[in-house]
Order: sequence, then structure tokens, then C-alpha cells
Amino acid sequence: MISKIVKSGLTRRTFLKSTAVTAMSAGLPGASLAAGKTIKIGFLAPLTGAVAAWGKPGLDGCQIWAERVNAAGGIKLGDGSYSVEFVSYDNEYDPAKARTGATKLIREDGVSFIMMLGGDTWPGVQPVADKTGMLFSTLLPSDLSPDTSTLIAPAEVHPIYNVTGVEWLAENKPELKTAVMCAQDDALGLPSVATYLAAFEAAGIEMLDEPLLFDPATTDFAPVVTRLISKNPDIVCLDTCYSDYVHPIAEQLFQQGFKGQIISCTADFYDQMIAKTSEEFMEGFVFQFPDFDDPALNGDNINFTDPNGFYAEFNTRHPGQWGAVSWEYASIMDLWKAAAEKAGSASPDAVAAAMKEGKGKHAFGDADWWGTELFGIDNALVGDWPVVAIEKGKARIKDFRSIPDWYARHGDLLVKHMKAYDQMWDQRS
Amino acid sequence: MPKFLIWVAVLAALIALPHGLSFSQQEILVFLTINVLLVASYRLLTLTGEWSLAHVVIMGVGAYSSALLTKKLGVYVPVSMLLGGVVAALIAVLLSFPLFRMKGFYFLIGSFAAGEIIRLLWKRFRDPFGGAKGIKGIDPMPDFSIGFYQFDFFEPTSYYYFAGVIVAFCLWILWRIEKSPVGLTFHAVHWQDKLAQASGVNVRAYRTLAFAIASGFAGISGALLAHYVGTINPNAFDIDLMVFVLTWAIVGGTATFYGPILGCVVLTVLNEIVLRELGLEQMRPLVYGAIMILSILFLPNGLESIVQKLTKRRAAKSAPERSPAE
Repeated sequence: MISKIVKSGLTRRTFLKSTAVTAMSAGLPGASLAAGKTIKIGFLAPLTGAVAAWGKPGLDGCQIWAERVNAAGGIKLGDGSYSVEFVSYDNEYDPAKARTGATKLIREDGVSFIMMLGGDTWPGVQPVADKTGMLFSTLLPSDLSPDTSTLIAPAEVHPIYNVTGVEWLAENKPELKTAVMCAQDDALGLPSVATYLAAFEAAGIEMLDEPLLFDPATTDFAPVVTRLISKNPDIVCLDTCYSDYVHPIAEQLFQQGFKGQIISCTADFYDQMIAKTSEEFMEGFVFQFPDFDDPALNGDNINFTDPNGFYAEFNTRHPGQWGAVSWEYASIMDLWKAAAEKAGSASPDAVAAAMKEGKGKHAFGDADWWGTELFGIDNALVGDWPVVAIEKGKARIKDFRSIPDWYARHGDLLVKHMKAYDQMWDQRS
Repeated sequence: MPKFLIWVAVLAALIALPHGLSFSQQEILVFLTINVLLVASYRLLTLTGEWSLAHVVIMGVGAYSSALLTKKLGVYVPVSMLLGGVVAALIAVLLSFPLFRMKGFYFLIGSFAAGEIIRLLWKRFRDPFGGAKGIKGIDPMPDFSIGFYQFDFFEPTSYYYFAGVIVAFCLWILWRIEKSPVGLTFHAVHWQDKLAQASGVNVRAYRTLAFAIASGFAGISGALLAHYVGTINPNAFDIDLMVFVLTWAIVGGTATFYGPILGCVVLTVLNEIVLRELGLEQMRPLVYGAIMILSILFLPNGLESIVQKLTKRRAAKSAPERSPAE
């Protein structure tokens, strides 16, 4: 159907009209035509290349999610149950390829929703989103702006949740007084730098040097680390470095004899880091992404279905591949499924409207749609976020902290640093 | 078949081509068309014997210039594309002063360093270059109608026709340059530089000329890309893409005008369509690399050598047939 529409020239109106007709037909009495029907969901993220660690494990998690949902009867819309199928496109973290992928997923595969990593790739996709009205999700709310009405950030408010780790450190290890930071100089690194600077300032931790921004093409981290630890800091902050950087930096910190505290947004494949360094060296490494076999995820506040079972299944199929995003895209699908079932339709407009009614069932607890001040639009779902530390070689949740509470107290600091790095939505060119 | 009819058939095929493709393949066709100009312009530089690692960054200079001219000064998009090419050529002239004090391997490394400096400048100066995030919301080519065809530049088919005309015109200019006395001098500078110098040829001036012309056309290709995708950032013009350009040129071969174009077309179709359709999406770097190694091992003169063999065989076959009539 979509191909017929687009042959005569695709507009947002014709696309939405077609989805509305589909949605209306779903409500016809006795029209139980859904048997054997499938809803396709697009997965548009890097599956190869340097950023693949934030795409591929997410797709693997989604396959498990789809099997679980299909086994439980699928997605129940107005006209019956639909099975769900993921269609992926490797955008290689390239905006041009992301545009091609979005075109394929919408106009050829007929997907109802597209999940992205976001970042550099979103601006390439935005014209396609504007033209088609397709609902997209991103893991990076810094993609949000008043122009991105069909883009939501329901899984994580990167990098704002990083404040919770610093806040926890300051409360639990008050002897840590000084910090240094490094980050790759790109769309992921810079907003995170601003966030950590705000968090350190709020916590009364002194920055000994300007954040060290390295080129994403860097492969030798020895000089980076040498400069970082030359001022003898209590804390080395690895910002939101890709796992391809976190590993060699941690290795260099170990080899150059750093004994202090390390904090990072992610510690994907931390078992490999322990293997390259030592269990003692990695003890107390603080980051933000838990393993889902953590007992703390069995609480009533957690909305992610059977996190322990999901983690076990993931590790059976993809041993050693669990990472920050393994559960995130699946958790977005939980939200999407709930919204589609509430709306009785998979139409992008209907799902988006249903999703934003009231509180959102975020993986780590009920959360609010938020973001006008930072992103110019309330399309980010914000609530509690876990602080994770490595203990005896295993990641363990130490606490859940409220991001909105921190922002209510220190939001002005975050805005100040975001502005200094030109990261506010109205500063992005 | 007369040559004219062959060209008419090729033109008809190129016009019909997008209508036989899926939407995503049409998108790939647009990027392929732009990359054809990029790699063909790169070959012009290699005629003088120098291989640059800054060509993709120079493409980026064209992209950034054109984007900024439209965003900041409101310049009409087609004019800004042309100016993007001009700025890229001027930057190349500036770079030629330090770079052409070097030759061969030293030039290669020097060009890489020069390119990285430009990329770092884009990152460092958030105003006007947008820093690491680059520039987004770049004005698209304005839609227009030519009576029988409405150009809607969101649609890949429309942009393919637009870019196709520009690229074809640029390729014709590049071809004319190569076949002109200037082009022959480029060859002389490559193969007989001492002799050329002894004959009064200003070798450095000709190298600079080739670098500037190649960069100008690379700049136009960058501008075409920027106004289609709507966003550019420094990482989009990094060494990864440069490696692709080198691969297209090496696998295709640089002895003929069409060699690098052939390499670009074959490898892009293989990487972006065939391997994806075969379900080898996540194994593409592996398969692509293996095919590249095999082609270099078994086709050391590039894909163009296959075409040359075929055309020679045809010529050899048709020669005895003609002889009785003669």
C-alpha cells in the first residue's frame, strides 16, 4: 500500500491518511483479519563500524523481545493480535546511509515505527521523518528540538542521567575532591562533557584541567592518559566514550599505575576490561548501565518485563555481548506496544498520542515526558536511573537516583555548561 | 552501431534506470552519482603521479562552503554549489604551496596532515562550522518544473536527474581536460618529469593545476551531497571515506578515464545492494575486504583490464571480417 502511495508522490498527508484508514478499518465489527498478520518495526542503527556496540546488541535484544511477545500472543490491536517482526538497516553511523535506510524501512518494508541510536545520523533522517510523519525513537535526546515532533527519546536521557553517578560518588566517597575528564570530540561526547562538568560542580568536585577532547580517529591512548593523570586527580571521568575507547583508556590507566576512582557513562563488555587489567583495578568502577540479572531490578518499581530472564536468554544466545543498549531498544518496544494496544492501532500518530498520555512506564520506573528547557520539546521520558559499580568483577546497582530531582536543584548549572559547549537546542546549527 | 547511437542508448538507459529500482536503491543511485564525480576528479590528480589523502576533506570544503553560503548569506543553491567548487579549488591552491614541496610518499602523508588540519578546524570553530555536530538543516535544492517534469528534490529520482546532469557535464570537462595538451602535460609530469622540466614545462605549476581542478570538482560533489542529505559533519569526510575512494580507484584501475568510475559503481553496488540483499549486512566489511584483496591479487590492472581485454578481442574478431571488403 505504501509503495502505491509513494508512486504518486509521498507527502506527510497521504502517508498519514493511509495509516488512518488502516486504523479505522481496525475498528470495524467482526473484522478479525489480523490472524497471521505482522507489524514490522524498523531498526535503523549502526550494526558495523566503531559505533556498532550501540546498535548490534540492541537488535539482538529486540529479537528476544519479539519472540517473547509473539509467544505471548503478539500485539493486540483493534482488529486482533499481530505478531511483530524487526527489519534492520545498518546505517554505519552515517547520515546519508541513515536516510537511505529510513526510506527503505518506510517506503519498501512498511514499518510502523523506527528505532534509532540517533546522534550524527538523525539530521539525515529528519527530512524523511518530516515528510512521512513516521514515529522515530532515539537514544540521544540531544537530537530533540521543537522541529522534531515525531521523534521521541523514551529509553534514556543521555547524557543527563550521568549526573546520578557523580551525585552518588560525592555522597558515598566524599574523600574524592578532584577530577579530570576525556571524551571524543563529537556529538555524543560534547553534551556529556557539559553534563559531567555540571555534575562535578554541583557535587563540589574540582576539575583540575579542561576536558581533554580527542579526535574520534584516535587509536593510541597512552598520551591521552599520561596527560590526564599528570595532575594526580582523585577521579578520572571517561565521559560517554565508545567502548572502543573506554577499553584502551582503562588499559592505559592500569598500565600507567592509576589507583584512583574511574567513572564512565558506559562500561560495555567490562569483563574484557577486567581481563585486560585486573579485578582489583576495576573494583568500584562507576557507570550507568546495569546487567539485567541484578536483584535490584526485581523491585515493584521496575517496568521491564522479567529482566533476569531477558538477561539470561541474551547471554545464552550472545555470550559476552551484553552492553548498554542490549535492553534499551527492547524497553522502547515495551512502551510502543503498550501505546499501540491502548490506541488500538499501529498508526504513528495514534501511538505517539497514546504514549504521551500521562506518566510513561519507563524501564526503571514510572517517568514523565520532559525536556522543554533543554531540548525545546517534552519528548524525553525522564525518571529514575541506576548507578552501577563493579564489585568483585560483577556490575551491581548501588542506587536508583531521580534525574528530575537533581535537575530541580542544579538545572541552572547544566544549562550553563550546555550553553558553554553550544549544546542547547537553540544553539545547534 | 554508430557511436552516436550508443551514446543515445546509454543516455536512455540512465534516464530509465531509477524507474527500475526500489526507493532505497534510488537513494543509493544518488550517492553513487555523486561519488562518480568524486572518484573521477581524483583520477585527474593521479594523472600527475600524486596520490592525495585530502581529496575527501576537499570534497568537504565544497560541502561546508556551499552549505554556509546558503545558510548564512542566502545564496541560491545552484550558485552556492558552484561557489563551493570554486572555494575547494582555491583552498587546494593554498595547500599546494607547502604540499608540492613534497613528492610521492611524502606528498601522500603531507596531504593527509593537511586534510586533518582542515577537519580539526571544522571541529574547533563551532561558529560557523558547527563543531563536531557539523551543520544541519542545509537548504535543499529548490523544487521547480520544466513543464513535462516536476522536480521534487526530496525524491531521489529528481535529485538523480539533477545531479546526473551536473556530474555528466563535469565528467565531460574532465575528459576534455585529459585529452587536451594540458592533460597530456599532466601525463608527462607523471612519467617523464625531468624530461618535461627540461622541455620548459613548469612541473610544479601543472601539479598545482591538476590539484586545483580535481579539488574544484570534488568540491562540487561535496556540495551536491550536502544539499541532498541536509547535514554535514567533520566525520563524514574522514579517512574512512578516503579509503573507499582509494579502493574504487585501485580496484577499478586508473589507466583509463572509466576505470575508477567502474570501480566505484561495481563496489558500491556490491557493498550497498548485493551484500545487503543477500542478508550479509553485518558481514559486509569482511566480504568487501575479501573481494578487494582477491580483485587486487587476480586483477592487478583493475576492472578496466577486463573491459580492455573484451574490447580488444572484439576488435580482433571484427578485423578479419572487414579485411575482405577492404
